[in-house]
Amino acid sequence: MFKLNFKIALRNLWKNKAYTFINAGGLAIGLASCMLLLLYVTYELGYDKQFTHYENTYIVYSNQKNAGELTTNAYTPAVMASELKAKIPGAIAVSHSTYPENHLISYKEGSFNKLGLFGDPDFLKILDYKFLKGNPASVLREVNSVILTATMARNLFGSEDPINKTIKIDNKEWLKVEAVIEDVPKNSSIQFSYLMPWRLLAQENPAVEYGGWGNFSYLTLVQLQGEQFFSQANDLIRTVYKQHDSYSTMEAFLHPLSKWHLYAQFENGKSVGGKIGQVRIFLLLAVCILLIACVNFMNLSTARSEKRAKEVGVRKAIGSSRKSLIGQFMLESLLLSFLGMLAAFILLEVALPYFNNLLNIQLAIYYTDWKFWSALIGLTLLTGVVAGSYPAFYLSSFEPVKVLKGFKTGGGSSLSIRQVLVVFQFSFAACLIVCTAVIYQQLNYIRNKPIGYSKNNLLEIRIDGNLKSKEKLQLLEDQLLTSGAVTHVAHFNQSISEGGMLTWGVDWPGKNKNDEVIFAYRSTGYGFAKTMGTPMVLGREFSPRFADSASVIVNETAIKIMGLKNPIGSYFKADDKRVKIIGVMKDFVMESPYERAKPMIIDNQMNFSDGQMTQVRVIVARLNTSENISSSIDKIDGIFKAINPGFPVQRKFVDDNFEAKFQNEKLLGTMANWFGGFAVFISCLGLLGLALFMAEQRKKEISIRKVLGASNLNIVTLLNKEFIRLVALANLMAFPLGYIVMNHWLSSYSFRVAISFLPFAIALCLSLLIAILTVSVQSVKVANANPIDALKYE
Amino acid sequence: MIKLENIEKYYANKGLKSYILRHVSTTIEQGEFVSIMGPSGAGKSTLLNILGMLEEPTYGTYEFMGENVTALNERKRIELYRNHIGFVFQAYHLIDEMTVAENIEAPLLYKKIGSAERKSRVADMLDRFNIVGKKDLFPNQLSGGQQQLVGIARALAAQPSIILADEPTGNLQSAQALQIMELFKTLNRKEGITIIQVTHAEVNAAYGSRILHLLDGVIKEDLNLVNV
Repeated sequence: MFKLNFKIALRNLWKNKAYTFINAGGLAIGLASCMLLLLYVTYELGYDKQFTHYENTYIVYSNQKNAGELTTNAYTPAVMASELKAKIPGAIAVSHSTYPENHLISYKEGSFNKLGLFGDPDFLKILDYKFLKGNPASVLREVNSVILTATMARNLFGSEDPINKTIKIDNKEWLKVEAVIEDVPKNSSIQFSYLMPWRLLAQENPAVEYGGWGNFSYLTLVQLQGEQFFSQANDLIRTVYKQHDSYSTMEAFLHPLSKWHLYAQFENGKSVGGKIGQVRIFLLLAVCILLIACVNFMNLSTARSEKRAKEVGVRKAIGSSRKSLIGQFMLESLLLSFLGMLAAFILLEVALPYFNNLLNIQLAIYYTDWKFWSALIGLTLLTGVVAGSYPAFYLSSFEPVKVLKGFKTGGGSSLSIRQVLVVFQFSFAACLIVCTAVIYQQLNYIRNKPIGYSKNNLLEIRIDGNLKSKEKLQLLEDQLLTSGAVTHVAHFNQSISEGGMLTWGVDWPGKNKNDEVIFAYRSTGYGFAKTMGTPMVLGREFSPRFADSASVIVNETAIKIMGLKNPIGSYFKADDKRVKIIGVMKDFVMESPYERAKPMIIDNQMNFSDGQMTQVRVIVARLNTSENISSSIDKIDGIFKAINPGFPVQRKFVDDNFEAKFQNEKLLGTMANWFGGFAVFISCLGLLGLALFMAEQRKKEISIRKVLGASNLNIVTLLNKEFIRLVALANLMAFPLGYIVMNHWLSSYSFRVAISFLPFAIALCLSLLIAILTVSVQSVKVANANPIDALKYE
Repeated sequence: MIKLENIEKYYANKGLKSYILRHVSTTIEQGEFVSIMGPSGAGKSTLLNILGMLEEPTYGTYEFMGENVTALNERKRIELYRNHIGFVFQAYHLIDEMTVAENIEAPLLYKKIGSAERKSRVADMLDRFNIVGKKDLFPNQLSGGQQQLVGIARALAAQPSIILADEPTGNLQSAQALQIMELFKTLNRKEGITIIQVTHAEVNAAYGSRILHLLDGVIKEDLNLVNV
């Protein structure tokens, strides 16, 4: 029985190749989209869960009062770790480490600029990366040692054995390779290519250890014995700052490692989600796309009901029960969904590299993982059953006497179910179109919003090695200017597109003592505003003609917060030092173009030690637009290499840097675009199915109309009118939904576009246009058919 | 075998009853070959459908093999189809996706007959109807007469006690029609299968043992050919 049904199902599919193709194709696209999204969702949900004890691992976060609200971050003092290790019951390991930073790592001729961090032995106890070479128990104890990741080791040593070889960091420290670990998984929050011992950091920079409770720069990880210790530990940790500084208003707390990536957004000290929202949206999208594909399948299957009806009638008359008919149709739909899955598989494998590239992630199909196969089979079965259920029950319900006499689908009700399905499909598609349009509008809005400086033709170049000496830096700046490649140049102690370097220690006359406000604190040389192209609202920049050691420039926001009427010449205290305001600079965007500018203070004091300007991080240079850009770049590189041999020139165009800030929104836009496109496409297949059905059903009516003198145009209009109504209805239903979703999405941005009627108009026009095109293919065919073909069988 | 009592069938339309069948009462014994005749719209097909339990009468009782089957549930009805009733249609109604052999085999599958038995019965049928060479062809590759032969073979494969045929030769040329009617006659005489056919043609009716003349839903004449 099964064999015969199976054979017949295959024959059926083969006989109606076009139909099979459309149907399996729709399912394949739906399944592929769904699987891709599910892979992405599992990837995101798997963040930081590669470690054995991730469930009992926590990150120490701090809440700090800032302008009446709590700001939250995971920067803690270095001493936190030893303090917690001693005090917290149930703590197996507590580690302190730096956040990953770029260093130059070299062996023989090869040198690479890669992320690395300093960590203690506990760091590796908590995050148990897999060791490929070396002994995990003894690493990170020697000062001059280093652990490499597999890729890093290969890049440096090729096929040589790296163990016990020495490499150079930043062209000064020699480190012995102790071990090689597996590459850090991409879905891990901490990314690095090599690990250096904490002791090395402490030796280089003794302030790290003696900085006490005032230096918030480090990551503290805590691993507890079990969940039962959590609340006790969390309570203890809350007051840890207060115990060491009775004036401190800071509170520390534990945040689970597994939530680090997805629940990283804090509002007023409370976790309010974060990326998890986006993950949920993608999950919903996955389900909806699959559902659309299933609906599609239903539409196409039932559209062919006339052809199948006879078979149902005959089978019933020769003794088939309804159950076995349902079984047969289910079998067919499972077969199709299996075919679709095969095609989806191919699509997925083809699309994955592109998708990975687009999102800069590492998704792969794990063929050896039983979870993958069970998900795959589950998905295929689910799709087959969901998609096949309606056709199976609908088709098997035909009464033999009716269909054998000559099939007449009077079935107004069945048609309306189909209409509901199409409306559902198009609502979803229209909703996606609206969302995509709004996301693009928002992206454009943020991109074109004035950022406070002119980012075109602005270069940012990292300063390291020799260049940290004051003379060399001066020489570099002079040479750059005289070469004609740049028109302005200035050094700065932080990348201009990065945040950080914050202080709470700002005091001004009339400040409310309970109000702690966070300020960005920067240092620069001369001509910074000019190089950036940021106007000075009041006063002047630093200049060699003045003694500016106790002078600062502030930005507009700072003036607003301090409430200064005549800022120029007034004094305030920054980190216990009295400073004078000599200029007010327009606000410019640093870290995030989505947030309001922070108040900022810029002084003219780079810290010195041993003649080194340890703080200077970058120089910004404005390219000379009258010169050829690539030859200017060559000149700049030449000057850098001459003064600072041994270090590669690390320059970036600021507008590229800036573009990277939109990565997340761009990603969302691209995803919405692609999957919205798929949803529209699959919906169109469904519409085509409905059009086929309608045309078949109204064949006689149309023939009679034609005999009575209706023109082809009349007929096409008549047939299309119905669908236009459906699609318009779908749009009406989609609009409020789209509005709510987008309003919610936009509400997390301080700068946002107002939702205009444009996205809705786009959705309406686009969906109508596509629908009319799709339906017309069929209705023109019907309208052109010879009426006698339909009438002679009556 | 079959006993109809006061069978009525009408459609109510805005309070107006339009009758298809009125006061139809008759008995058909095992082994009879009955032809139902009458002009278009007389209710012939409806009567046959009621006999085949494809339609339910509005009123009256219907006994099939001593059992009241007027309003039978689907499960039991299917049981009867599987074991006792074979249908032959004017338009053959073979399943297009199945080969000749599979079409004949289909009712046996529903009857849950074992594979070996199925094979032998199908082979037997093919042999008997001289269509062994066509067993792997699909219905659309056969002529009308051949299709109807397959239709009858399919009906017979399940070894029914009664065959209901709705104008089995209606779409056939006269030579083929003759062949089919001869076949019916043989089945009836040699194997004792009860046959009830609807037909327009006197020629066809002449093969049977009894004629029921219907006019406007009423049996006008019940003619027994054997005694004549």
